[in-house]
Amino acid sequence: MSSDEPVHDDTNDSKQTPAKPSEPAARSNRGYSIFTVPAPLKRIFDRFPLVTYAENDAPLRAPTARDTHGLHIFTTASDARNGRPSFNPACLKWQTFLKIAGAPFHAVASSNHASPSGSLPFLLPTAADQATTPAPIPSSKLRRWVNAQSGANKSQEPLDVRGDAYPSLLEDGVRKAWLYQLYINPANAALVDRLYVSPCSSNIFVRMTTSHQLQQAAQHELSKASASNTIHEADVLQEAAASFEALSTLLDSDEWFFGRDGPGLFDASVFAYTHLILDSDMQWQDNALSDALMDHGNLVKHRDRMVEMYY
Amino acid sequence: MAAPSSSPLDEDVFSQLRKPIDPAELERRDRKVNERIHSQFEKAQQRQADLVTLNSTKPITISSVRVLNAYNTRSAFLEKIFQPVLSHNRPDAEPYTLREALAEIQTAVNKLDRLNIFQQPISTYIDRPDQTDASSTPTDHNVFVSVKERGRYTVKTGTEAGTLEGSAYLNVVLRNLFGGAESLNANASLGTRTRSSYNAYFDTPILSNPDLRWEIGGQASSTLKPWASHEEVLKGGSTRLLWQTSPGHRHDFSYTGFWRQLTGLAEKASPTVRADAGDSFKSSLTHTWTNDTRDMPMLPSRGYLFKTTSELAGLGPLGGDVAFGKLEFDSQGAVPIPIPGVKGDTGISFTAGLRGGLLYPLTLSGQEAPSQSRLNDRFQLGGPTDVRGFRLSGLGPRDGQDAVGGDVYAAGGASILFPLPRTGKDSPLRFQTFVNAGRLLGLRDTRPSDSREQPMNSGQVADSVMKTVTELSNGLPSCSAGFGLVYAHPAARFEVNFSLPLVLRKGEEGRKGVSFGVGLTFL
Repeated sequence: MSSDEPVHDDTNDSKQTPAKPSEPAARSNRGYSIFTVPAPLKRIFDRFPLVTYAENDAPLRAPTARDTHGLHIFTTASDARNGRPSFNPACLKWQTFLKIAGAPFHAVASSNHASPSGSLPFLLPTAADQATTPAPIPSSKLRRWVNAQSGANKSQEPLDVRGDAYPSLLEDGVRKAWLYQLYINPANAALVDRLYVSPCSSNIFVRMTTSHQLQQAAQHELSKASASNTIHEADVLQEAAASFEALSTLLDSDEWFFGRDGPGLFDASVFAYTHLILDSDMQWQDNALSDALMDHGNLVKHRDRMVEMYY
Repeated sequence: MAAPSSSPLDEDVFSQLRKPIDPAELERRDRKVNERIHSQFEKAQQRQADLVTLNSTKPITISSVRVLNAYNTRSAFLEKIFQPVLSHNRPDAEPYTLREALAEIQTAVNKLDRLNIFQQPISTYIDRPDQTDASSTPTDHNVFVSVKERGRYTVKTGTEAGTLEGSAYLNVVLRNLFGGAESLNANASLGTRTRSSYNAYFDTPILSNPDLRWEIGGQASSTLKPWASHEEVLKGGSTRLLWQTSPGHRHDFSYTGFWRQLTGLAEKASPTVRADAGDSFKSSLTHTWTNDTRDMPMLPSRGYLFKTTSELAGLGPLGGDVAFGKLEFDSQGAVPIPIPGVKGDTGISFTAGLRGGLLYPLTLSGQEAPSQSRLNDRFQLGGPTDVRGFRLSGLGPRDGQDAVGGDVYAAGGASILFPLPRTGKDSPLRFQTFVNAGRLLGLRDTRPSDSREQPMNSGQVADSVMKTVTELSNGLPSCSAGFGLVYAHPAARFEVNFSLPLVLRKGEEGRKGVSFGVGLTFL
């Protein structure tokens, strides 16, 4: 084989980062020695390797869908394939938001361990070429990333005081009741097991540890939010009912929140909870939140509209 | 009286003393002394041999065996070792001759030695009981084994440094716990690559047999795997049966259950690593067979090593989240190279090694199709202790910067080792030149590209494994050549090599220049 075939490292690097000429030099030097190599010796070194074949095939479990951005969410493999909504509110919010923004993506069933922030969702953008891996985008930066993408519908969410205050209705009121209902309420233990524990492992010890950890985390978050160690179901439910009331008043008879002509991030946030509370596929054993939500017909209609448009 | 200095005689004595002694003369004297000692020793040996030969066919009976000073060892445990020696326990056998009895006693004492609870050497005495004792017969002999027990515990702390790794450790060994050579070995270490590791193992001989041991224990560890941008957290336990059939010939049967967590991913972790992040439980049975006849495992000059490891994970009642069969073998042979005209060992040796491995995906109970291998079950290849001239895990399939491992591998190497002119062949220092080669492949999907969405069925997996194994010999293997220095310390072998890669696959990371390796097994 030709000895003038360049070392692959160099070709790749120069392709990847044409804007940063200093980096490829640093990388290709790294491979040779920690000391600087004299020029004649370097010329000899550059002749090696004498033969370079095509690269090895990737293992079979390696993800193959790399032509669109991958949104890593809690979901099942088949739901991910069919574009079904995630069963986790935080994931569903961003999944819906990306659909609203029209960004092309595919869902990937994943776990918190895969995430750079330690929790899902996050987005893995497509790579410019095979040899580089782009940095993942955690959910906190997803909105900015979507806005920066050309081609996607920019989300023109009002950024006024009102817009910032309403998400806290969801975070404080609804989220707490959600945590209570799903993780603490023993009636729904089977649901947690099916959604979050089973995908981890089939081993009894791993499952017991995982479900214990989930329950502890929920308990911790609830007592942190309410600044007390005792959590009363009636209190959290009442707070959730009050939040739904406020959200219902805000939506009024409009199609979308804040009287806009299309859905935005806040619509996605509300939908993430309302959909999962009302979804019959979830198979709730005890669903007190649903009773509180059913009182507000406009929120239920809002959810139905979203499902129809995006799922 | 004449002044001493003026005496011609004295002068002669002093001048003689002042004169440096002729080295040849010294050597001659040394030789003479040695010869004398040697001849005395030989005579003593001869006398002893004569005595034994003279009495070798003399019938004797062993009426008692006494182990002295074994205060912390259960007598029932020692009885198992010495019962077979006693004459009254062998009613069907012929009476001992002296020679047979000595051999029998030696076997038992060797067993004591290998239990690792007594200090070496163990001394043995044979005595005749008092002939006036009415209960004794004229042929009766008593055996006394005098031992000194080793300390019942050892605590060690220290720091270690290796290839890109540093660590501090605490090691506690409790010896002869229940008086039956049981031991508890607990280890804790914190380091840069193995961030933390804790383990405790209980080990006991079965039926007082030092060659048959049972071990049970647990471990928890957290290890950085920079070649694949993640950290692996392990928690689990294992139980093991170790059986040494003859020196250097071992079987090891074990069951292990491990909860593995692939976590702490680096920013630039590839999609393949991200897809395998999370939990999995491996439940597996393993058999390891080792046959090692090498004279010095760290720097062999003759002999061979053959080792096979077979692992079965997740099949049927084993459960867990991964199912596969894994076969691996490791072999090494060494021959001394004679030089015409040089008598005896030249210290020059040729060693060659061949390794291989195969991971065969199996079907988990409750699933219809075989599950494909995960990152933490696949093989990694490359680095200073296997295929030299490559970075750690520098061979095989890659995704971005990550070495994602493969399901099939083969690696081989050949080295010629020369003693250095100044230090000679008896020092553990050698100059070596080597050629190393290897291939690491992921299973190939042999189906047409439109039907790859579905998981493979068993038939397709078999086909895929066959195709991948044949692919090993497609083209030249990735290889490198170089030379360097080897230092064989009894605890580990150190190497400094200069090497250049000769053949590569695109993406594989060869290493041009100097590399340093520390390890126990080298190709």
